[in-house]
Amino acid sequence: MKILIVEDNERVARFVTRGLREAGHTVEHADNGRDGMFSAASEPYDVIVMDRMLPGNIDGLGIIAALRKSGNRTPILILSALNDVDERIRGLRSGGDDYLTKPFAFGELLARVDALGRRSVEGGAQRVLQVGDLHMDLLSRRVTRGSRTVTLQPREFKLLEYLMRHANQVVTRTMLLEAVWDYNFDPQTNVVDVHISKLRQKLELDAERPLLRTVRNAGYMMCEHD
Amino acid sequence: MTRLIRSSALAWALGYVLMGLAALAAFAIPLWYAWNVTIFAGREELLRDDTQRLRSVFAHEGVEGLTAHINARVAMQIAGERTLLLTDARYRPLAGNLASWPRGVQSRPGTNAILADLPGQPARTLFIETLLPGDYHLLVGRDLARFVPLEQRFTWGLITAVTFLFVVGVLGAFLIRRALLARVQGIGQTVAAIMQGDLRHRLPVGGSEEFATLSRTLNGMLDHIEHLISGISNVSNSIAHDLRTPLAELRARLEEIALTRPPAAETFAEIEAAVADVDRVMRMFNALLRLAEIDSGARRSGFVRVDAAAVAAEVVEYYEPAAEQKGVVFSFETDGQASVTGDPVLLAQAVSNLIDNSLKCVAEHGAIRVRVGQRVDGAVEIAVADDGPGIPDADKPKATERFFRGDASRGTPGVGLGLSIVDAVARLHGGVLQLLDNHPGLRAQMVLPLAA
Repeated sequence: MKILIVEDNERVARFVTRGLREAGHTVEHADNGRDGMFSAASEPYDVIVMDRMLPGNIDGLGIIAALRKSGNRTPILILSALNDVDERIRGLRSGGDDYLTKPFAFGELLARVDALGRRSVEGGAQRVLQVGDLHMDLLSRRVTRGSRTVTLQPREFKLLEYLMRHANQVVTRTMLLEAVWDYNFDPQTNVVDVHISKLRQKLELDAERPLLRTVRNAGYMMCEHD
Repeated sequence: MTRLIRSSALAWALGYVLMGLAALAAFAIPLWYAWNVTIFAGREELLRDDTQRLRSVFAHEGVEGLTAHINARVAMQIAGERTLLLTDARYRPLAGNLASWPRGVQSRPGTNAILADLPGQPARTLFIETLLPGDYHLLVGRDLARFVPLEQRFTWGLITAVTFLFVVGVLGAFLIRRALLARVQGIGQTVAAIMQGDLRHRLPVGGSEEFATLSRTLNGMLDHIEHLISGISNVSNSIAHDLRTPLAELRARLEEIALTRPPAAETFAEIEAAVADVDRVMRMFNALLRLAEIDSGARRSGFVRVDAAAVAAEVVEYYEPAAEQKGVVFSFETDGQASVTGDPVLLAQAVSNLIDNSLKCVAEHGAIRVRVGQRVDGAVEIAVADDGPGIPDADKPKATERFFRGDASRGTPGVGLGLSIVDAVARLHGGVLQLLDNHPGLRAQMVLPLAA
């Protein structure tokens, strides 16, 4: 993917750029609002990572609002040191697609960038999700593995749906908390892990191949094993 | 001078002087008008009656008769009482006590009232001028000298009153201003001392009731500020203290790597541990910021009607697998009467913190009961009860303090802010957090007002 990073802190920018390049992305960097605005408006990107507070007369939210006004729909991940619920809402309302508070783990950023990039590729509504021999029918809400029907609680269904929509991508615990439970605070015990292991028990019976991988220090990934 | 004009006391006093003058004018002007109208009109009527009488003499007895009549009256008259003059068409006097037709009096057809000055007379004279058939001119008049002293007295009285009012007003303004300034300066000096950092100063309460009330109010405000500031400095002290511990660990870890240069594998393990240390500090920061956000009351603007039972049910559902894994009996009950006005996210976090605490404390195969419902007194109760070790009575008051960690929580993850947040959320919603004994265990309950 081609990614633009607009971030004035040199160290953070270097850390993010290096990490994303290592993950196989093409990365460009602007260190102030004006250059960021110019790059974002003149070249197509798959994802833009935008710091909120920027030098150069225009801040992150201003750039996002201007881009959206001109019809630019590139997915944008907002980076911010402001952690209020209201600030998060304001960021998303201005046209951002996701919001990540500094400081962050690189794995979290990478997972979110991947999720955003994927969304821009697929877009449209699907009726059936499929990973290997696991099928999910979104209309009849039926989940089958091979010829076997998997019975899920509503919340488990939502969790699995999110994982399948982001198949072959790392999904972090925070992303799951936000998307599946709508909690943007951090419950201390890692209850998400327990939910995942329960789901895993239902999906992967003894003889079946594992589908739900735990990615160390990052989160989970739904994928067909080789 | 501008300072004097800007002085509010002076402005008020001058305002009162002006109001006094306006009141005086409101009193004097109608009086003056009524007096003028009554006296003047009455006077004119008398003269008109007189004129009418003379005209009827003229009508019956002709110009000779009238001349004789006027001469007779003038002869009998006390000087100055009436001014009478009869002239022919060319204004030559025929009879009367006026030597010639007075200047400034013009003759017109009909009967006219005219005010004119006569030479040698101290005051103006009111005339009724009549054109008689045959172009004879008849003038009947009376001077207004009798009213001059009265008028003068009235005018002088008015001037004296205005002057008195003005002098008293201005003098009063200065005195009031001085008294006010003295009091205000007293307050100003105390406030200046407080601004320089000595919060223990208080305003003297005394003197007039108004100022005493003001001083008491200000003192109350100062008490509150002092309380808040000491609270803040307590918090910053404890933050400094409690953040220092993990930061010291982090520092030691990093310095040790730098000094001992262990093999790569060990170095990476240490670095990962260091990142975990940083994350722990960040969690403390986030919790503290969240706490500050709640305490500021800003979240109240986003309050909506919330079904506390539904919020709690979701949190319970979230924790269910974790409880199951630990073999804990986890139950939830509600009577459905649990509408509160509040912030669903904060309420969820509070319930989550309570359940999280219980889950950490209870032994395997213990029990946690969550109950949401209406109390006898009408309030909504969100209770999380467990059969864990509980909190000793001595620790209960301290349990909601920031960074307090009881003996039971030693060795469990957490930063000691969970109950502080629950307490703050309860207070934000106009309720309280109660920590009760569950015999055995803890029963933590938020009691919130039922939504109207």
